[in-house]
Amino acid sequence: MPTVSVTVAREVTEAIKVPRALFLPWPMGHHFGVPFRRDLQRRVVLAALGLLESSEQPGTILDLPIKWADVRREAKTLPEQGRKL
Amino acid sequence: MMEADKRTSSAADPREVGTQLRPGLWHAINERYPGSMIRKESFVPQARLRKPLGASRLTLISSCGVQLKTDQPLDVCHPFGDFRFQRVPSGGKHDDLIIHQLKYPRDDADLDINVIFPIERLQELSEEGRLGGLTPNFFSFIGYNMDPEKFERTVAEGIANAVVEEERAECALLAPA
Repeated sequence: MPTVSVTVAREVTEAIKVPRALFLPWPMGHHFGVPFRRDLQRRVVLAALGLLESSEQPGTILDLPIKWADVRREAKTLPEQGRKL
Repeated sequence: MMEADKRTSSAADPREVGTQLRPGLWHAINERYPGSMIRKESFVPQARLRKPLGASRLTLISSCGVQLKTDQPLDVCHPFGDFRFQRVPSGGKHDDLIIHQLKYPRDDADLDINVIFPIERLQELSEEGRLGGLTPNFFSFIGYNMDPEKFERTVAEGIANAVVEEERAECALLAPA
């Protein structure tokens, strides 16, 4: 069955030699971003799903180069964050 | 300033430059919990989609320890780990779910489960026709365990059998927490 992983630990993913993976330079527990950033969560999901269609070599790891500092800065501007945090 | 402090202060902040936040993680965990980390010698062959994504039924599998609030909790305290897995109805919402996991920061996922288990984003993509559908259940377990061979025999094989034989999944999104 075709599978795709979303990882924040590239070397762990490399060690277990998965068929295909999307790597994000983000902290553990935040594979799909931050709370209430639906657009970002959706972007990660779609990038991973896209690999199911596009990758051709076992061990393919695609980088999604979104800086964590930018994610956090943008998250602080969300009104939902202000209500819940 | 100590030499180590100089190195730390001069190194680029991975949060600002977009590189791995915790380099050396595999070795760090393997040193702390000897034998707990898996290393494979050969690649898993790539299975290909038999149909376009818009016609394929997807399942979600995660080590994040998410489960229904109404289910018996996974055991986060057992020193060797809990070798069970949970079925999570794919129609579930944030308010239906709870995380039983101690090994990663949960503060943000407790506010919005989609941070670690994007169940509502997948529901939206399915409703939009970007996916052919979702399996009735998704799967979750606690990633922490100290016996990789037992894990493969129990959790991994159990989920694999359920995904193929019961859920009829045609592709899978894996989210190792």
